[in-house]
Formats: sequence, structure tokens, C-alpha cells
Amino acid sequence: MINFKNFIKDKIYIDLYLFISITLLSIMGLVFLYSASQGNIETIIKQSFFVIFGLFLMFIVSQPDPDFYKNNSAIFLIFSLVLVLVTFFFGKEVNGARRWLDLGLFTLQTSEIIKVALPVFLAAYLYDKPLPINLFNTFTTLVLILLIVNLVRIQPDLGTSLVILIAGLYILFLAGLSWRFIGISSGIFILSLPFIWNNFLEPFQRQRILTLLDPNADPFGSGWNITQSKIAIGSGGLQGKGYQMGSQAHLDFLPETETDFIFSVIAEEFGFIGVCILLSIFLFILLRCLYLAFDARDRFCRLTIGGLSLLFLSTVFINLSMVVGIIPVVGMPLPFISKGGSSLLSFYIAFGIIISMATHKKLMQK
Amino acid sequence: MIDLNERFSEKRNFFNRLIFVYVFFGVLFLYLIYKTFSLQISSYSDYEIASLENKTREFLVQPRRGIIYDRNGEIIVNNKPSYNMILDPENVDDINELIFEINKFVNLSDAEIKNINNIFPNKKKLNREVVLKRNLTTEEIAKFEVRNYRFPNIQIAERYSRENLYPFLFSHSVGYVGNLDEEKLQEILSSQNLESNETIFTYSNGFLNGKTGIEYVYDEQLRGLFGKKIYEVDASGRLLQEKQMIPAVAGEDIFTSLDLPSQKVAYDELNNRRGAVVAVDINDGSIVTYVSSPSFSVNKIANGLTQNEFDELINDDDKPFFDRAAQGRYSPASTIKPAIGLFGIDKDILDWEYTIQDPGFFILPEDGRIYRGWKKGGHGEINLKDAIIESSNTFFFSLAYQTEIEELRAHLSNFGFGKNVCDDCFMPDNGLLPSPRWKMNTHNFGWFKGDTVNVGVGQGYINATPIQLAYYSAFLATKGNINKFSFVQDSKNANKNIFNSKNITNMDWDNIHESMVGVIESPKGTAGRLRSLKDYVIAAKSGTVELVSTETKEDYQIIRETEGKRDHAIIIAFAPMPNPKYAISVVIENGESGGSVAGPVAVAVLNSLVKND
Repeated sequence: MINFKNFIKDKIYIDLYLFISITLLSIMGLVFLYSASQGNIETIIKQSFFVIFGLFLMFIVSQPDPDFYKNNSAIFLIFSLVLVLVTFFFGKEVNGARRWLDLGLFTLQTSEIIKVALPVFLAAYLYDKPLPINLFNTFTTLVLILLIVNLVRIQPDLGTSLVILIAGLYILFLAGLSWRFIGISSGIFILSLPFIWNNFLEPFQRQRILTLLDPNADPFGSGWNITQSKIAIGSGGLQGKGYQMGSQAHLDFLPETETDFIFSVIAEEFGFIGVCILLSIFLFILLRCLYLAFDARDRFCRLTIGGLSLLFLSTVFINLSMVVGIIPVVGMPLPFISKGGSSLLSFYIAFGIIISMATHKKLMQK
Repeated sequence: MIDLNERFSEKRNFFNRLIFVYVFFGVLFLYLIYKTFSLQISSYSDYEIASLENKTREFLVQPRRGIIYDRNGEIIVNNKPSYNMILDPENVDDINELIFEINKFVNLSDAEIKNINNIFPNKKKLNREVVLKRNLTTEEIAKFEVRNYRFPNIQIAERYSRENLYPFLFSHSVGYVGNLDEEKLQEILSSQNLESNETIFTYSNGFLNGKTGIEYVYDEQLRGLFGKKIYEVDASGRLLQEKQMIPAVAGEDIFTSLDLPSQKVAYDELNNRRGAVVAVDINDGSIVTYVSSPSFSVNKIANGLTQNEFDELINDDDKPFFDRAAQGRYSPASTIKPAIGLFGIDKDILDWEYTIQDPGFFILPEDGRIYRGWKKGGHGEINLKDAIIESSNTFFFSLAYQTEIEELRAHLSNFGFGKNVCDDCFMPDNGLLPSPRWKMNTHNFGWFKGDTVNVGVGQGYINATPIQLAYYSAFLATKGNINKFSFVQDSKNANKNIFNSKNITNMDWDNIHESMVGVIESPKGTAGRLRSLKDYVIAAKSGTVELVSTETKEDYQIIRETEGKRDHAIIIAFAPMPNPKYAISVVIENGESGGSVAGPVAVAVLNSLVKND
């Protein structure tokens, strides 16, 4: 035993702040999920497996040097695209959507992997391009993003495709997309909103948006989810109704308690205090990521950390905004809390990559 | 590759942009926190209530109606239990197998089985009880009871139906119940601050309320208060557990003044003839006998008539639904004579010594019209007392001739004519005490002196209901000191009507009583036939209501070929004299003779009342 402590310091790459806070979040998630699933042991065992496996995966993923990701990002992207295409043809159909690939042990939502692979690839593609990003690179990137987004959208999986789009655009933005381009394209986007409304949105999606504007118009129809979610959150009050005491969740008034609306269950049972504690853990993770991005060793690492942390931030934000009724209902899990292995694993991988980017800078200096 | 300078600016550019996005989301997050805060803290109570309303379901619990008793404590209207077989569907998976098993010992008809199969899935989903069979016989109950260990999900539940133990005797007095309409239900519920909800019924016929008679008038007391059962439910409305129970408050029992034995006698004596009997206890004005004939079965009405049965009742020429006691209008005829006599004394027109010559008719000086008495040749020289006993028309024609109609009206009004005399009767008619203005408005003719003369013998326009006649009788019996009538007398609240007149002395009243006793007891009395029907003294005044005016007895013989044109028989009476306790009126439509047709009915009812005291 020469110097075990130094050995760990030198050979093992880990960010204890992120690792502990994510582990804490994962354990809290299991506790919440137990209540949200009405005490379903099977769900908890399955989810625990994903958490343990995910934490292990996060650790493994954070070990290689960032260059490994930089050099192989195209392979990862192509691999995940192949998975999506395979899903498209051989996936398991649930409720008219083909999103899952049956791997025997569990079913994988393949689009979740792209969510991570795409930003890493874009970061690797753009990190050495001169500033500001020229029109050619902008368009190449945009076309790639839109192609992949559309591939996921037609599964159909609106929520995930939206997140992929956002993740891609973040990288582009952080890499130095020109403000002029942003201004012009935003203008075009806003002008084309009516066109998108009429041609790209399914009737149920339009209904969701309309419902958001006035959930009371049809409280037992499409407004049901939002109305019940608000009642659940509101009736939690300051202290909540107590663990497993949420009537909205336990008497089936609240839909999708294990996935999209798990935050409503937490808010109902733990109240505003519980909500604040949960949000502060999220906030801590995000601020840590911000710090790590500042501290990163090169542009590729910065872009990747920034992009992935914003991906995480957006997912959290979209989920929370949805359940409190700020934005329309889109299928979006709450990271590390909601049930669902694929989404969970993709975030463990994402944070594994972030940790890798953040911790390997020391070696460079040597 | 980018140079160092560029790298530096790239780094700054990256940080700026990342911070920009973080700040952007930071603002959104603040809004999110604010939104959560407003949901959980500012609007907490609203959402707490919404959550509570979500998970609770209220049921109304129907109260039991009060029981109606007669004055002797005999039950008139009761709640009759019936037994239903009820299934708790929660733990039943195969309803057909269950039906098959039950069918082995309690026969279920095809229609019943079909109905059970129809409602079962939904009832199971919502966890609501399923009625397997209604109105079980005692045999069926016994057969079930020995096997009930095999059917843990089935129980026998009690439901009531409203039952009048004497369905024909009290049809018009006690009345009947029927289904409560939605509007009235809302009114009742809102008076209790309740809302319309699923209901746990106590009665197999659902919501009930009084439709006629005491059931209607005392509905509020009889009905009781709805209870509430609160269950926890899940989102699909499935009942999970009982949270709270506010029991229904049973309605108050009503102790009426009605007297079952006399009611039976009156009903039997009327024997389905068209007519009415009203008798009261004069001490407090409480109605003891109240029969309108012919009658109908209130139980059938309350529990559902077939269309045929209903049509039969509605189209019956004798109009069984019609409450003759409260709404039948009859001329008081000669029964009014004591009141007219008292008016003469009150106005100093005559005294008990005063006599007239009665030739059998009265000629109206104004136009020479002849008003006849019932006795050919008249009663000769006659005073007030004999004029009452023998029922001289001429005496009262000439007395009425000397009065002013408005004064006479005011006097008769004291005796109950032309006004409501009952506190709690169902839709009582006020009869008619005619006035010149009324005649002008209705007939477009002025008032003739002859009209006043007719009032003097209770004919012409004046008419009264049997209740009013009974009131008049009670008024005479008490010498003008009688409570407003009621089925449920509470003497503290009773509305006393005390008649004051300077000129009418106690002796005058005694003379009136003596005259009315003479109607039966005197050899010349018009109701002498009643003398042998009782062994105490009755004061009475009979009357014969002419429906068609005839000159001679021969003419009347022609008229009476048509039953509907025959005279109505009418009598008022009070007994036992000299300290009367009961007053009565009897009307028998087309009965012809007040003394000999209505009289025996009155005596029989009085016998029952006086003897049973």
C-alpha cells in the first residue's frame, strides 16, 4: 500500500458533490415512488435495480478521458440512431406508440440515448469551429438536429423529441451561434406558429394547449389532469398531508402518479416545505454543473457540460411547469424521481460524462 | 485551430451565454416557485376543500315519517316494513352463479334476473348495493335465514311503505302520501342546507310527501329531517369506507283528535251514500269525526293505482275524491233558524213572547210573491221557540223581512258562515254568505228583499260546508265560545272566537238550546223519530235543502223521480244536554229528510262519542 488515498485521487474520477446529491435524489425518488405507486413492491425493486445500476454506470462513464467521448461521439450517435431505427421497425407498441425496444430484462426507450449522444456529438463537431459559427455549420447542425427530432417525433414521442431539439439547440447556442441568426430565425418561427399549429400538431396536442389556457372549460375531460394535479399540489399546503396520505394520489384522482405527475404526489404529501427541499437539491446540482462548466479544461468539455446540464435543467423545468399548469401536458419525467429505467439511465450517463469532463482536467496539467 | 486570443474570447462568450440561459431559467424557476407557493399557501384552503370534495361522497338518508294516531292512541297511519334481499357486490365475481344458487330456494323471475344482470357490473364498479328481490315473503326470509352462512354478501334489508290501517275511513281527513316532485324536494333539502344526492331510502317507494289531508298539512312535522352519510370514494366513484354518519331524524308522530270508533260508525252509517259527517269536541274545537262519503282506499293511491283503477275513481259520478266535508257547498236550510232567531233577539225585533200568525206562507209586500212553509195550512199562532221546534218558515220569513242584509251577514259571520273555521283542514271551502255586492258582481242583479227573506230560512244563495255547519252547531252549543277547529288541538294556541252581544243573555241561549232539544223531544218536533234512538238528550235542528223549488207535494213527487234532484237531508246537533260535549253536522245528498235520514246518522255518531267517553 504505497498511498492508497493518492491512488484513489489519481486513478478514480469522481465528483463527490454531484455523486452524493444525485444518490440522495435517487433514494428520495425511490421513497416517493413507493407512495406514488401505492406501495407497489415490484415497481420499487425494479426501480432500485435501475438506480444501483445507474449509479454504477455513472461511475464507469466518468472514468474515461473526455477525448474518448470526443473521438467516438460519431460512433455513439450512429449507434443510438440505429437503435431508434430498429425500434421504429421492431419496437414494442404501447398505446399506438413505438418507443420501446424489448431487451428481455427490461424495455429500453431508445430515444432517451440520443438525448445524450446528440449533444456530445454536436459539442465534438463544433468545439474547434471558429467564432461565430458560420452559416454552413449552422445549417448542417440544424438539419441533423431536425432530422433526429423528427425521427423521434413520429414514434410518436413529442416530449422526448422536444428535449432532443432543445439539447441540440443549446449546444449550438453555447458554441457561439450568431445573435443575428438567432434573431432572424426566432422571427421566422413566431411568424410560422399558426402554420405549425395547423399542420404539425395532432388534434390532441392542440387540445392540450387549449386546455392549459382554460382548464376549467372541461374539468372532467381534457382539463382533468391539470385540475387534479393543481388540487393535489394545492391541498398539500405548507406541510403536506403526510407520507402515503395523499388522497389525490391514493384514490386515483391524480393521473400518471409514477411518472409525469410524481411531483404532484410529493407536493401533496410533503407540502411546500418538501417541494422547497427537493428543488434545492436540483438547484444545487445545477449550480455545481455551472461551476464545473466554468472550470472545464477545454471548449469541448465546456460545451458538453453546459449542454447536458441545460438538458437536465430543461427536463426538470418542463416537468414541473407541466404539473403546476404553466405549460401544456407533455410526457416528461422528473429526472431521478419518476419511474422509468431508460430516462433514469440516460441521466446517469449524462452526469457520468459531465463528471468525466470535469475531473480529467488535472491530468492535462501534469 | 483557434489561437489564444480567440480562445479567450470564446471562453467569455460561452460563459456569457451559459449565464444567460441560467438566468433565463432562474427567472422561470422563480415563477414556478411562486406558482407553487400560490397553490400551496395562498389558495391552500380552496384546494383543500376541492381535495376533500373529490374524495367524499354524500348520501342523503331518508327519514322515517311520523306515525299518525287517533285520540285514543290507536294507530291510523303506520310505516309497514317490507323486506328486500340486498347484495353487496364488492366480493362477488360470478353473478350468474349466485343467482343460480339463490334461485334454488327463492324464486327470481326472468325479469328480475335480467334486471340484476343489467345493473350488476356498474353497481360492482361503484360498490353500490344491488337489490336482488323486493318484498320477500316470511317464507322466503326463513328459507334465506337458514342458508345465510353460505351468502356472506347478501342481507335482508328493511324498507317501509306508508300504510293506513283503515284505508277507507280516513281518506279525506288524514289523506295520503305520494311521490315528492323534484322542485319540492329541492325546497325541503335547501331548508336543511342539503343538496340533492344519491339517497339511502327508508321507503321502498322513494321520496314521499303528503298530498292531501293531515299528511299534507302536517307534512313538515311528519317528514322529519334527512340524515347524511359520507363515504370516502376514489376517482371512479367507488365507495371505499364510511367516514361520517349523521342519522336521519324521524318525523314527529301526530296525535290527532280523530276518534276511530265514531269514525267507523259515521262511515258505516253513511254506507257509501253521498254525504259527510263532521263532529267536534266543543271544549276545544277538535275534530273527532270527519267522513266524506263515498270514500276510496288511500293505500292504493299511495302505493300506485293501475290506470284503470284510477280512471274508475276519477270518472265515478259519486266523486269519491271530492272532500264533501270541507268543500261540499250546501244550503243550511232550516238549520239556520236558531241563528236567525238570535239575530231577532239581538236586534230587539222580537222576544220569546212575540208571536205571529202562520198561515203556511209569507207574502212579500213589495211584489206579492208567495214564500211557502213545509206544512199546509201553517202552524197557526206561533212564537220563536215553537217556530224552531216545528220549523215554521213563515215565522223566519217575516223575521228576516224585518232585517237589513248587511247586519244579518255580520251576525251570521260570527256563526262561521262564509269564512274558514278550521286551522288545519286541507283546502277548506269558505261557503257563501251572500251580499248585495256579491250578487251584483256574480249575477249582475241587485239585491231583492226576497233574497234576504230566503236567507232567513237558509235557502237561496247562502251555502255552507259541513265543517262550517259543525262549527255553527258547536257555536250554538257553547253559547258562542268556541275554538277554531283543528285536527290536532292544542288549546293553548287555539284561536278562540268569543261572541259578545249585549242583548243576548244566557237565558236566550238556554231557550235556544231548549228549542233545539224540542226538535227531537217535543211531540211537535220535526225530528221526533230520533227520540227512541238514544238514551240521553240531544239538541238538534234538521233541514231539508230544496234543490228545485216546488209549489206542491205533488210537484215534488214528479221531481224526485230523478235522484239528483231530490232534497238534501241535513242536520246539526249537539249533546248530551244540558251540558253538551259534542257538536255534529250531517249532510246526505238527495237524502230528502233532515230529521229522518240525516238524523239517525248524527245520533249514531253521537251515541258512539257520548258512550265511549
